Parts: sequence; C-alpha cells; structure tokens
Amino acid sequence: MPVSETGTLTANKMRRIAVVDALRAPALALGATMAGFAAIAREAGFDFWMAISTSALVWGMPGQVAFASLYSAGASLLVIFVSVSLANMRMLLMVVSAADMMHLHMHKLPMWRRVILMQFLAITSWAHLAVAETKYPRHLLLSYFQGFSLTLFLFGMLGTVFGYFLPDMLQPDLLQIIIFITPIYIFLLIVTARQKANRLAVAIGSILCPLFYPMAGEWSVLLAGFVGGTLALGCGRIIARWNLSERR
Amino acid sequence: MHDFGFWHSWLAVGLATIGTFIWRFAGILLVSKIPAQSSLMDWVNTMAYAMVAGVLMLVLVYPTGILAASGLDDRLLGLVTGIGAMLLTKRIILSLLCGILMFAASLHLF
Repeated sequence: MPVSETGTLTANKMRRIAVVDALRAPALALGATMAGFAAIAREAGFDFWMAISTSALVWGMPGQVAFASLYSAGASLLVIFVSVSLANMRMLLMVVSAADMMHLHMHKLPMWRRVILMQFLAITSWAHLAVAETKYPRHLLLSYFQGFSLTLFLFGMLGTVFGYFLPDMLQPDLLQIIIFITPIYIFLLIVTARQKANRLAVAIGSILCPLFYPMAGEWSVLLAGFVGGTLALGCGRIIARWNLSERR
Repeated sequence: MHDFGFWHSWLAVGLATIGTFIWRFAGILLVSKIPAQSSLMDWVNTMAYAMVAGVLMLVLVYPTGILAASGLDDRLLGLVTGIGAMLLTKRIILSLLCGILMFAASLHLF
C-alpha cells in the first residue's frame, strides 16, 4: 500500500484508497452475505421493500437474521424488538471503539453527522478500520471510513436486491461457498489484530461463545464478549508485566 | 404461519431499526465519557473483539439459512485452513482463498 505517499495524502485520496480496499474483496463478500439475508427474508414472508429497508436501516447482519426468523415464526413485536436489540448490542462497543480509532472528537462534527456516520458502521468496516489504523495517519481515518463504509453499504443494498429477486439463479452449493466468505474474511482480519490482548480476546471469545450458546442463546454473545474481553485484558496485563520483570 | 398485516409488518421493521439504533446512539454518547488510551478503552476494545469473534463463531457453528446445508466439519475445516494460512503468510486474500477452497473441497469430496 502507498505508505510512502503518506506525506501527500489528502482526505479525497484517502477515500479513494478506501473504496479500492473495499472493492478488493469485502464489498463483494458482503453483497453476497446480504443476498443470503434477502433469501432468508423472502422465505420469511418479507416483501421487497421490507427486505431492503431492513438491510438499509438495521445494517447489522445478526440482528437482521434474528428479525427475519422471528417474523416468519410470527413472534410478537416486543419479542422482535428485544431479540434484535440483543443481537446488535455489540454495536455499542464497536461504535465506541471506532470513534476512538478515528479520533472523532478532534473532528468536531455536529451530532447529526456523527449519528449518520455511525449508522454505516458494521462488523466489516470496523475490522477494516483497525487494519487501516496501522497503515494511515489518524486524522485521515475518518475519510477512510467514509469511503469504505459507503462502498460496503452500496454493495450491501445491491446484494439485497439480487438476493431477493434472483435466489434461484445461483446453484445452492455455490451460494453456500459465497456466503461462507464474509465470516472467514472478518475472522482473518481480527485474528491478526495488532494488540496482543485483542488477539487473545478473539481466541477466547470464539471458543466461549459456541459453548455458551446452548444454555444462553442470544445472550451468549454478550456473555462471551464480557468474559472473553475481561480475561484477555487481564491475561495481557499479566503477560506484559511478566515480560517486563523478566527483562530487568 | 401467523400473518402480519401491512402496518404490523412495518412496525416490526421500525422496531428492529430502533433496536439497533439505540446502541449506535448510546455508543456516540458514551465515547466522550471514556478517555482515549485508558484501560477502560482497552477493555471496550477487547470486549468488542471477543463479541465479534463470538458472533462469527455462532454463524459458523450454528448457521441459519443456506449455510446450514453444509456440515460443521466443512465449515470448521475451512476456518482452520484460512487461519493457518493467515498465520503463516500474513496475506489476507491468499489465506481467504485457501479457506474458501478447502471449504468447497470439503463440501464436495468428503
């Protein structure tokens, strides 16, 4: 990547780099994931406008899938609200983490612009922001996020349209393989996180969550996040201190 | 199947939207309260990483929709192959290809 150009990078150049980064694989993969959601939504009885509105307004896959399955089961509005909230609660931590990475407070954006900006945050853009943080100057990360997340959003919408109207166009086998891309892609991004404590959190969280799921259901993500994140931070601290005393 | 009427359906979409929006908004309000480069911010980050990893594992271990037609062994083999390649090569697209190809091969061969 053009790290050597860092000195002459402008906000517009940064946005263009981000668009190219998004087109390199994640946008297509996310489009396919949203096509997968649209297929589930159609089966669940959503009309087209409901499916595309859900993709655009919720813009968080686990919550969308929870919504579609509950809708098809005829769940009450309260149950739908609670379950979707629960499934997307990690947005809280992701928004805090993303705003911190982008140094959002330095940009002095009005509240409505911060709200719109964070409406576009999803797992993929958050994970990519963490990668971009290691490559580009901090003050340009906001521009990076704008370029990246808007490209992703556009492909997500296209994917929803295609998935809704053309679910039979692709062989189910092939569709399965395409839908497999996004989770693996994000996994590969986060297992190589720069901070050791974050990598440890990925390892612990990914082991705990499936173990908790049979007992805790939707709560398992929160539980695994809390336990995994706390353990990882604690262990990271202990290892760091140990290394420090070793060196003395 | 219980049938949702027009308004009922759109109310459900609205509630799903609000159910996600509240967390985004809470995050925006919360971030100004947490000092940058503090232990608290580190903790937020480790929890975010653990949660995202957890969500992804749920997708892979207990999938819904089209992915559910594949076997757990196929999906885990693909994941392990991708991670292995990533740790060895540090090249994401290459590792992604390794993982996906292993998944595809596992689907059709075993």
